[in-house]
Amino acid sequence: MKAILNHIAVAVQNLFFSLFFFFFSLFYIPIATSVVFVLSAFIPHRKTMWMTRRAISYYGWLILHCAWPFARVRYKDKSPEDREGPFIFICNHRSASDPFLMACLPYEAIQIAKQWPLRIPVLGIMARIAGYLSIHEMTVESFFEKASQLYNEGVSMVSFPEGTRSGGRCMGQFTSAIFRFAKRIHATIVPLAISGNEDKPPKGSLLLHPGVVHVHKLPALRWEDYKDMSPFKLKNHVRNLLQEEIDIIENRCEQDI
Amino acid sequence: MTESDIITAVNEVFCEEFEVPLKELTPESQIFDDLGLDSLDVVDLIVALQKKFGVQVRNDERVREVRTLQDLYDLLEVIKREQTSA
Repeated sequence: MKAILNHIAVAVQNLFFSLFFFFFSLFYIPIATSVVFVLSAFIPHRKTMWMTRRAISYYGWLILHCAWPFARVRYKDKSPEDREGPFIFICNHRSASDPFLMACLPYEAIQIAKQWPLRIPVLGIMARIAGYLSIHEMTVESFFEKASQLYNEGVSMVSFPEGTRSGGRCMGQFTSAIFRFAKRIHATIVPLAISGNEDKPPKGSLLLHPGVVHVHKLPALRWEDYKDMSPFKLKNHVRNLLQEEIDIIENRCEQDI
Repeated sequence: MTESDIITAVNEVFCEEFEVPLKELTPESQIFDDLGLDSLDVVDLIVALQKKFGVQVRNDERVREVRTLQDLYDLLEVIKREQTSA
């Protein structure tokens, strides 16, 4: 009986979340895009870009909070001394909710995505305006050029080097492009460990399951820390750091249960 | 160069250039899935193999069919033999 009630509660919460998500996206994104478009005529381009990125971040923040209390996000900055960006955030990738979790980051940031997220109607257009990079639509050199320009402007970037959602607790192999880029421009890398959202929603589903999502910002790796590593070694080093942190989070979570 | 020499030399490249532990280097290891190389890492691998073996691999179409370490050992053996007989 209790199990049935739980299923009903989850279904009702998902229904409310889905309705909010749909209608909020339907209104917020076109309004925010229009406001930014109109303001762009009166304010400098750099400021317009900042506003667009903030608008996307607010959107993500509100989506995250409307899933409360049955899906909660706990952000932990394990290196508060690393405040001066820009950074290249390297995240593991379990779920379609990962890009929304980036709203936790108090930095002006763009995300590096595959083609399809940037083809979502309206949201994709806004992301393109904000400078999100579609890595599969450009050559490596073109990506390096555009990403360098953004980084030099002080814009952080978020990368999911697994390339696709793992859908579970195992982390896939990393691709090296973002690490080659970091080495070339002497960027600061910040690993960002995400745990608990592999079922929010699971791969191939839209249903959110109750629970807590942990987002942990780890200590920064500066150029001096990794300059002697090859891109291959660097990507595996960051992958190991993320795996260690995820193991800590998930062991602790299992003990809590 | 014997088959055994080729295996040893290829494994040395993986150990030295990519710091892959020797115990992970089995003939059936998938270069992408098991050893974790991607297409850009493969470019580094080819450069290192060319240097190690003194052969041209980069423009060889057969390199696209390499999936496992065994495939790589076999390809290098064939290329080495072809270049010796030429």
